[in-house]
Amino acid sequence: MGKKILRINMTDLKATYEDVPKEWGRWAGRGLTSTIVFDEVDPTCHPLGPNNKLVFAPGWVTGTPAAPSSGRTSFGGKSPLTGGIKESNAGGMSGQKLAKLGLHAVILEGTPKDKKWYYLVITNDGVSFENADELMGEGMYKVDEILGEKYPKTAIIGIGQAGEMKLSNAGISVNDPENKPGRYAGRGGLGAVMGARGVKAIVVDDEGGPGVEIANEDLFKKGRKALTSAIREHALTKKDGGLNAYGTAVLVNILNEAGGLPTRNFSSGHFEGAAKISGEAMSEAIEKRGAGKMGHGCHPGCIIQCSNIIPDEDGNELVSPVEYETTWSLGANCGIDDLDYVAHATYECNDIGLDTIEAGNTVAMTMEGGLLEFGDAEGAIKLFDEIRKGTPLGRILGQGAEATAKAFGVHRVPTVKGQSMPAYEPRAVKGIGVTYTTSPMGADHTAGYTIAPEIAGVGGKADPLSIEGKGELSLAFQATTAFIDCTGYCLFIAFPILDIAEGFGGMVESVAGVAGLEITGDDVVPLGKEILKKERLFNEAAGFTAADDRPPEFMREEKLPPHDEVWTIPDEMLDEVYGWVHAD
Amino acid sequence: MQETDKGTKTITFEVLLYGPIAAYGGGKHIANVNMTMSQGTPLGAVYAELGIPLKAKGYVFVNSVLCDAPGLNASLEYQVQADDHIGIFSDNHMWPYQYRDGVKMSDELRDVLRKTGAIHHSYESTARDE
Repeated sequence: MGKKILRINMTDLKATYEDVPKEWGRWAGRGLTSTIVFDEVDPTCHPLGPNNKLVFAPGWVTGTPAAPSSGRTSFGGKSPLTGGIKESNAGGMSGQKLAKLGLHAVILEGTPKDKKWYYLVITNDGVSFENADELMGEGMYKVDEILGEKYPKTAIIGIGQAGEMKLSNAGISVNDPENKPGRYAGRGGLGAVMGARGVKAIVVDDEGGPGVEIANEDLFKKGRKALTSAIREHALTKKDGGLNAYGTAVLVNILNEAGGLPTRNFSSGHFEGAAKISGEAMSEAIEKRGAGKMGHGCHPGCIIQCSNIIPDEDGNELVSPVEYETTWSLGANCGIDDLDYVAHATYECNDIGLDTIEAGNTVAMTMEGGLLEFGDAEGAIKLFDEIRKGTPLGRILGQGAEATAKAFGVHRVPTVKGQSMPAYEPRAVKGIGVTYTTSPMGADHTAGYTIAPEIAGVGGKADPLSIEGKGELSLAFQATTAFIDCTGYCLFIAFPILDIAEGFGGMVESVAGVAGLEITGDDVVPLGKEILKKERLFNEAAGFTAADDRPPEFMREEKLPPHDEVWTIPDEMLDEVYGWVHAD
Repeated sequence: MQETDKGTKTITFEVLLYGPIAAYGGGKHIANVNMTMSQGTPLGAVYAELGIPLKAKGYVFVNSVLCDAPGLNASLEYQVQADDHIGIFSDNHMWPYQYRDGVKMSDELRDVLRKTGAIHHSYESTARDE
């Protein structure tokens, strides 16, 4: 039996299994969700209306035996936050189980006629539509607990109160191996799209599933072995390497020393309290309190294990994970240097179902707008209650930074295409600014990982140390990232496969082996560009223009301490990044 | 700046050590060391004074300017100035290229990176390939 597309129609409460169309069979992960959204969703539809769809898909190698760090699930749809196409992917338990059920993708469409809420149970026998009354109004910790007891050893995909209220900053949670929420397809408000379908949660039970077919077992094993070796060898991804020892928050002190850590709503690149909320501080707290851990895996089979479990002040395990972006957005960007506040606020985000990057930027808007003072942790934590309860203020905050800025009369708004910038100041880290502004996803730090230029030969002519090469490099990075987002591998394999040629080859071979694709490393960028082209064309049809590929106005005018830099990338360079879409 | 009994001028400056090399400054994960050394002391001598093996240091910053990267030694000749703030990271601290693309860096490091390839995460691997 080949893979199937599972189409779940919430209007008729019917699930059908369809053969995979030829074009869709070429793709997995992000390539597949973006292709289906491109093919089936009207770009002009309202993101919360009946014509939008939520599509989710495992990657090419997800669910295969011992493919390292390969548990990603891509979620796609039209974003309520940006108004454009969105793919957001997460680790956790869902990808492997969907793949082992033989599902190429799941398409969730329609809206229940009875206006009721449901949770879905996907098994090898089909889909059941269950009354979700007992889950309604609950946060994700309780949802995972209730469903985990009822359906042990399953994947649980769900939305918190933010998704129920269809707020634009609602993410989609996937449970981790300990059945806790925290693995979020957070960006872009896809939790609201799920809520608009009347679905509170989706249980995935892979027992009895057919597993993942592997077209060329020998090629897959050869590639897997090379990639695994590269990950285990590289200084950043090996055991006790940077990611394993300090998590992604290993970057806090580095960006701060570089003057590139956005502080107090992007008014400085240096935060005097950075060390207190860094990965080093997390390790120290874990050791001192005798609870929690660094080096935690977000899904079975991860050999990088960059996640962590942070304890509270009393030595009880509180939340997982506190990542770099999270400790920055909730901490430095709000002028707060209290790690315990950051951990509690992260718990709130995980429970309510909020993207932490957008949430931190939103809190910063209230500080910029005078509702709170920068540094007011006590006041900030109360804002999450407002969102959870759905008060008028909470509903504004839940719409994200841009809506909150309007409500509070703030003009210094660090967004692109309506989505908040992550934790790298583009006036100090100039290259990331090109990706922030031109990515079809809005400001996104995962849209342009450095992978191909020296290996695949693309961008190799550009001088990475010169401003002139930034557009070409960004496109190469965006294309290779789009490809990796199809594989199901964690994006952090980008580090070893850039530095170790055998690892890059192994990654491609493992994909070719599973999917039966005749591809080599030279195909990575062209395939990535195919995905980007669809995403770009969707956005154009939705009404996006060159004006949407621009930085926030204040960054062109305000000098960023300590280097006193302003945005210097010419608009013409930004326009050239996607100039090829209509030329090819 | 102060003058010693022997007429040598000394300066004081601050060094932050991050990660396992914090041990060379008396810490476990982070150490903050205030140092006094002769004016004109090169950074290489600061590493030696602290007992940090060159292989153990990763990214190095002086006053928010990137001066060195893991596996490279572009910062050794820099002459430390009074009141400098120096941040030294362990060799396992990652900083993916896309997140450092365009940051302020020293001319010495820029020259070295033009030879070694600017986008790598780990220069140990580059050296191995050569």
